[in-house]
Parts: sequence; C-alpha cells; structure tokens
Amino acid sequence: MSEKSEVWQGTLALMVLKTLETMGPLHGYGIARRIEQTSGDLLSVNYGTLYPSLLRLEQEGYIASEWGVSDNNRKAKFYRLTRAGRKQLGKEAREWGQTTEILARFLAPEEKLL
Amino acid sequence: MREIRAWFLRLGGLFHKERRDAELAAEIESHLQMHIEDNLRSGMSPEEARRHAVIKLGGIESTKEDYRDRRGLPLLETLMQDLRFGFRSLRKNPGFSAMVIVTLALGIGVNTAIFSAVYGVLLRPLPYQDGGRLVVLHQQATQAHVSNVLFSAPEIADYRENNHTLDAVVEYHSMDFLLLGNDSAERVKSGVVSANFFDVLRVRPLLGRTFVAGDDSPNADAVIVLSYNYWRRQGGDPNIVGKVFHMNDRTHTVIGVLAPIPQYPEENDIYVPISACPARSSAKVIGDRSMHMMTVFARMKSGVPLTTAQADLNTVASQIAQHNPEFYSKEDGYALAAAPLKQDLTRRAQSTLLVLLGAAGFVLLIACANVANLLLARLLRRERELAVRGALGASRSRLVRQLLTETTVLSLTGGALGLALTYPTLALLVRFAARFTTRANEVRVDPVVLLFTLSVSLASGMLFGFLPALSSSRQVSDALKQGSGQSTTSMGRQRLRAGLVLVQVAVSFILLIGAGLMIGSFIKLANVDPGFSPDRVLTLNLSPNYNRYRTDQQPKQMLALADNVLRSIRNTPGVDSAALTSTFPMSEQAMALGPDHLKFQIEGRTVSKGELPSLTDETVVSPGYFETIRQPLLRGRTLTERDDAEAVLVGVINQTMARDRWAAEDPIGRRVSFDQGKTWITIVGVVGDAKEYGLDRPIGDELYIPVKQGGFRGGLVVRTAVDPVGMIGLIRKTLHDLDSQIAVDQVETLEHLRTESMASPRLTTILLSILAALALVISVSGIAGIMALSVSQRTRELGIRMALGQSRESVIYMIVQQGLVIAVAGTVVGLVGAGVFGRLLASLLYATSPTDGFTFLAVSLLFVGAAAASCFMPAHRVTLIDPFVTLRQE
Repeated sequence: MSEKSEVWQGTLALMVLKTLETMGPLHGYGIARRIEQTSGDLLSVNYGTLYPSLLRLEQEGYIASEWGVSDNNRKAKFYRLTRAGRKQLGKEAREWGQTTEILARFLAPEEKLL
Repeated sequence: MREIRAWFLRLGGLFHKERRDAELAAEIESHLQMHIEDNLRSGMSPEEARRHAVIKLGGIESTKEDYRDRRGLPLLETLMQDLRFGFRSLRKNPGFSAMVIVTLALGIGVNTAIFSAVYGVLLRPLPYQDGGRLVVLHQQATQAHVSNVLFSAPEIADYRENNHTLDAVVEYHSMDFLLLGNDSAERVKSGVVSANFFDVLRVRPLLGRTFVAGDDSPNADAVIVLSYNYWRRQGGDPNIVGKVFHMNDRTHTVIGVLAPIPQYPEENDIYVPISACPARSSAKVIGDRSMHMMTVFARMKSGVPLTTAQADLNTVASQIAQHNPEFYSKEDGYALAAAPLKQDLTRRAQSTLLVLLGAAGFVLLIACANVANLLLARLLRRERELAVRGALGASRSRLVRQLLTETTVLSLTGGALGLALTYPTLALLVRFAARFTTRANEVRVDPVVLLFTLSVSLASGMLFGFLPALSSSRQVSDALKQGSGQSTTSMGRQRLRAGLVLVQVAVSFILLIGAGLMIGSFIKLANVDPGFSPDRVLTLNLSPNYNRYRTDQQPKQMLALADNVLRSIRNTPGVDSAALTSTFPMSEQAMALGPDHLKFQIEGRTVSKGELPSLTDETVVSPGYFETIRQPLLRGRTLTERDDAEAVLVGVINQTMARDRWAAEDPIGRRVSFDQGKTWITIVGVVGDAKEYGLDRPIGDELYIPVKQGGFRGGLVVRTAVDPVGMIGLIRKTLHDLDSQIAVDQVETLEHLRTESMASPRLTTILLSILAALALVISVSGIAGIMALSVSQRTRELGIRMALGQSRESVIYMIVQQGLVIAVAGTVVGLVGAGVFGRLLASLLYATSPTDGFTFLAVSLLFVGAAAASCFMPAHRVTLIDPFVTLRQE
C-alpha cells in the first residue's frame, strides 16, 4: 500500500461517514453512487476500493451492517452510522476543514498574506 | 483503542473463512446486480452492462483479495501457511530433519546447561534484599602479599564505631560444636554470628524468629537457629521451635529455622549468637587485637557507592594502624579492602565457567555451520521447486521468509529437545559448581534461562537459515533452464559451503587445543609428587567434649586423652602406625584456607628496616607423623615422645624453609621465635616438602612442632596394613569404647583426598574434552559431507576426465586435495584463534604454557589426519564411477 492510497482511503472513509449521515442506512453500491453523484464529474470512484474501507470502518466500530432488502427487492448488506461514527465524523470533518483552510492560506495570492 | 478493537476483530477474521467468503461473494454479487440493472436502465446491452459494472468495480477477484487482506492479518496468515508447509516438508525428509534437530539439540542443550550455571552463580542477584549493598571486608598486609587476614574482636569494634558509610557491621565465624545424645556425640557445624547478622543479610526465618539484639549479650538465654537442611535431616518437625538441644554443656533453645536459601559464606548446620561460643566470649579473644578469627560483612548505607565506602574504610584503617603501631608494622603495609559479597563468593568459579561457556558457544557455532551446510545441500535439490514458485509469482522475500520459517521450526524443535537434555545434566553441573562456590545450589532452569534458550534457538535458526536462503538463485529463469539434477552449483554457493566448513574446522581446532592444554596440564598435576605417600592412610577428625575438662587442667587432660587414643589405635590389629596432626594434607579445609602466615624471627639475625617479615606455616604433629604419611626425613631427627611440655621447645622444618632461610648453612640447632624472643624453638630436623595445601600450590615455609608442646588439635592419621576403608568400622569402635563423647567425622582415605583435590581441574578437563570431541565429530562429518556432495555433483565431469585418460589415482588425489586445502586453511585460522582462547585458559592451567608447542603440534597432526580420513571415504567412491555409464546418462 503506497502513501497515496493511504491518503485516499482516509478521505474515502470521511465521505462514507458523511454519506451515511445524510442518507441514513445504505448498501455499498448506493454509497458508491452517492459519492460519485455528490462529487459530480470530478471524482471517479473505483467501486472495489470501497469494500475494504467499509470493512475497516466496521472493524473500528464507526459503522454497523446488516442484511436487508433494497428498493427494487434485492438482498443487500446495509450500512448505518453508529454513535461512535457520528462523533468521529464530527471530529474528522473539523480536522479536514482546518487542513483545507491552512492549505488555502498557503496557496492564496501573495498580497493577501501580507 | 479503536486500533486494538480492529486488531482483535482481524484476528477473529482468521476463522470461519468459508462463511465469511460466502457473505462477501453475496455482497459483491448484489452490488454487481444493482449496477447492471442501472446500466440496463440507461440503455446498455446486457453484455455491455455487465462488463461496465465489473470494470467499475475494478475486478471481482482483486476486490475480494483486497477485502480479505483487510479482514484478516495477512502476515499472520502467511506465517501459518509457511508453518504448515514447513512442517510438511520436514516430515517428508525425516532423516534430514532428525539430523538437524539432534545436532541443534546438542548445541543448544550444552549452552543452556552451562548458561544456567553461569547465570545462577555469576549473574543472578544474591537472594537477599538489596544484596548489592552487602560487602565483605578483608584485612590485608599488602607488603607481605597476604590478602585475607581474619578480624579480631577489637578490630571489628573499631570499624563498627568509626565508619561513616556503613549501616551495620556484622561478624561471622564457624565452629564445630558437640551435640550430645545419650551414648553418642555429633559434631555440628555452627555459624557464630552477631545478633543482627540475619537482619543485615535480610534473611527471613521459615519458622520462629532469627536473633534479636540482646541474644548475644553475655547473660542471655542460650538460643540457636537451625538451617533448613539440618532441620530436614532431623526429621523436619514443624513444632521444633521451643525444643532444646544440649551443647557445650548448656541447654540451648531452638528459636527458629532458616528458609531454604543458600547460606553465605558457607553452609552451616546451626547458628548461634557470639555469646554462645566459648572461645569468642572468652576474655582473651574479646581483648586481644591479634586473635584473628572472624569474617566481617557490612551493609553499605543506601546510595553510598563502593568507592566512597572504601575511602571511608581506608581512613579508619590508617587510624587503627596509627593507634596500635605494635600490631600493624609499617613493613606489612596494613590495608582494608571492601569487596561486593557477590563477587567474593563467585570469584573462584568465574574463569572456569566462562571458559566452558565460551567452549559451549563454539560448539553451537559449529553445529549451526553444519546445519547450514545440510540446508544448502537440500536447497540444491529444491532449487527447481523454488524456481517454479518464483515463476508463479512468489516474491523473493516471500521465498526467503518461507525458508526462514522452516529453519525456525527446526531450531525451535532442537531447542525444546536441548532443554529436555539440560534437566538431567543439571544435577551434575550443580555438583561441579559446588566445588567453587556455595551459590551452586542456586543453579536451576528459571524464566531467564528459558528466555536464553529461546533466543539462542531463534538466533541460531536465523544464523543457519539466512546464509543458504540468501544464496538461492537470483535468476528464476536460470534455475528453470537447468537440466534435471545435473546442474552444477554456482561458484558462490560452493564457496559458501567451503567457507562454512572452514569455520567449523577453525573453531573445533581451537576447542581441541583448549582440551589438549587442559589434558596436558592435568597429567602434569596428577604426576606431581605430593611429598608423602597417601595410599593406605585414613584420616579421622576427633572432637572430644572439651567442656568436661576444667579450663586450667584442659591442655594436660587433652594430652592424656591424645596419648590414650594413640595407644589404643596403635594396638588395633591391622594398624601399622598412627599419629596426630592439626591439618590433614589436601583436605577440603586445608585447600580452602591455605597455609598460615605466621611472622617469626631467627636468632642472631636482625631484620633491617623495610625488609619483609619472615612468614611460615605451622603444623602441630605427634611423633610418628612423618613415618605414618611417609614424609622423608632429610637431616637431623624427627619428633619423639621426649619432646614434651617439660623439655626444650623443638621443631622440624621442611626443605623449602631450610633453603629459603639458611641456604648453604645447616639449620639444625638454630632457633626461631614467634613471640619476639620470649620463647625459642630449636630446629632438630629437616623433612622433605609436602604438598599439604594442594598439588598446584607452590610450597612455602613449614614448621612442624610436637603435640605435647603445641596442644592436641583433633586430627588423627592411621596407616593400615590392609585396605583402609575396611578398617573404618573397627577404628570407630575403638574410639567409641575409649570415650563415647568423642565425635568422629571427616573419615576419608588420604588417597581420596588427593584425588578430590584434583576434582575440579579433572571435571573441567573432562567437560572441555567432551565439547572438543563433539566439535571434532561434527566438523569431520561436515568435511566428509561436502566432499561426498562434490563427488556426486561432479560424477559426469570425473567420468569424462577418466574417459579421456586421467588416472583414478590422480582423480582421487584431486578430490582429497580439495578437502585438505579447506582443512589446512581452517587449521591456520584456528591457530590464530587458539592463541587468544589459550590466554583465557591460562588461569586454569598448571605448569603449562597456553602456547605449549607439543600440544599445538599434536592437535594439528590429529586434526589434519582426521580431515584426510574424512576426505578419503567420499573420494573412494570415485573408483566406483564407470566412465561409460556416466557418459551415457541423459
């Protein structure tokens, strides 16, 4: 696992948590589609990478899963946010906001820095 | 926290794989179906829809694989796979596995056993709380080269009162007391100690209590503490506290039993406070600065380093010397040395144990080299297997890991077996170490030793696994291209094998030299003339009940008893002669304590300022002593019955003293004095030198004085006409009939004492020889192995050579030469190493130089001979090669 994918995985986890907070319980395909839609054309998710990420979040106790039936009557595994996941989402979102803010300041035109 | 939870879940993920895989498959399938349905709805054809969905997912199998890696612990799973595979492939080669495991078990077992001794004796902290703060004090006369003078009561008081760095100063000496029964007497070894002795050592009792302040005051009730072992021997009565013993004609109450921990400085049966010892509580001992009889221990104040304490004690010592110039002359160089208790107790064991540990380490090194060679040979046959696995995608590091897993399985199994081998040898090793230190009883297999065994096993697994693993072919394609089994080994690997054998040869050569030196030294020691004839001589130590005799009459009555003893023993049938002595030659006590260093002056000679004082040992013997042990008279006369208390004081000196003090003059008729000229002893004879204090100890000056002038000291020597052991019963009975209150012990033959005195060098020699023999066998088989393999690999080449006309003899010569080159090169490396190892041995050698030419020559010849023999066997197989058959193969 290279450094790049580590970073990517971290972001992906945050997106998953946010999606589950907004949409409520959802299956893996649904999550993938939602992330893609939300990001518009800017982000193309390789759906396969989603599943290890979901498993990791579940192992860490941020999400829980159970088998259910989808809208079009298909058996699917549904993921939902746990209480710990909600807390983690708040924390990570804050951190992410900070990071982007700092980066934004760095990348801002120079006169603004003065 | 979250990480730990996830880790546990992943550990759980290693189980119920089938169920979890099915669930994953279902989830992926439902994902795909939903995606396909969406794609269909957007107008794709069914094939297109499915293809798109799978691409978007990034491949079904690789997704599953990523998922599985996250679910379990990939490293652990691979390890388990490797372990399973390793066990399987080792089971398939039982001969190879057994060979490796046994070799390692021997190597690791030897190391574990010796390490447990080294750890128990040298490394483990003393079993006393804060044992690091305990020190032993030694008074020294540095100018006279005397390093361990015991303390007198006034000296102890001086150090106790004037130091500023010690918490407490306690004294110890050992006395033999007579424990009286109805019709018998038993001598018990008694530690006579300060009341706070056990508090300072922080020793807790098993039962009852130890001494408290006041137990050693002159009017206190007589109390004793039993050692654990003595209590067990007496039946281990749990209600022993409060029972009474009769000793020194007083009634002693048992107040406690010590816990079963080793006793320092030596094992005693019982302990009594100083007030209970008649000698220690006599006015003479309490008041006389020259009555040196006590050992002194101290506990340093918390946080005080040894150097500070030593400086403080130096100050006290110089004050003592200043205030009492008549006792501490400037010429002696009076000093006081404080040594950590632990170091003091184990000093004698150190060099022997370290030499053995070094030798054991060498054996393990050789064993590892041998196993590495075996592995290389096996790897050769597995080359293709590894190449195929590499071609199928196994990474190089994955293959190395697989090989290392296998070797670790081997080394751990070997280690476990080695540990099993350790237990039966441990008792032997404890008895061996007991000759050097009382800490021997602390030798056992404990967690530290187990940890040592585990690390040694793992380390050797890595050592002999890494070399072969790294040498495996770098080029997968090369290995695949090679033909079946006829592949020639790469030069690199050939060199590695030769290098391993070279290391074996060098190391076992070093060990053989070490063993050879020890054997040579031991033979010299065994052939040392003791200066007397120990065969058919019995020694018996007599302890009469001194308290039955009134103090003022005691010496006279004792002499009467001595006369009676000698008369009745001499009249016993089977006895040739009998005599009394104060010291048995080469007895355990004589060996441990060594000769006395008594200052004396020679009549008519003045000692100039700054000259070293004359020192001699003194032995009290009865007439007939020299005749009984056959110590030859060289000049003058021996002692007779007429040399009694009324007659003029006389003495007999040994040859060394005659030579040291009188050189060319005749010492007969000269006089010496031990009391600044108040009394003079006339020398009447010169006897030959006797090695009374050990065969390896240089002989010093010796003065023998008659029992009737020096007092009865209890030692009886008896020369018998028949086998002395058969006479023991009769002699004991004679003594018992004479006086039932004489305790008799230390019943030995002089021959046995002589043998015992050489026991530790003999055992060291034997152990080192066993290790060296083991090393020789392993490395010779190593040479034979590499030669055999080289012959079988070169069969084709050799066949061609012979077909082209090279003679069989020259082919054999070629093979043998190859082996001999390695052997000789190894021997040369070994020579250098032996020079270093020999220096380590020097302290254990008697009259043998660590670079003894004869030993080096003999061992070199033996070694090269053995190597040549081990080359010839495989080379002989060359003669079985039929060139035509060889060439037709393939």
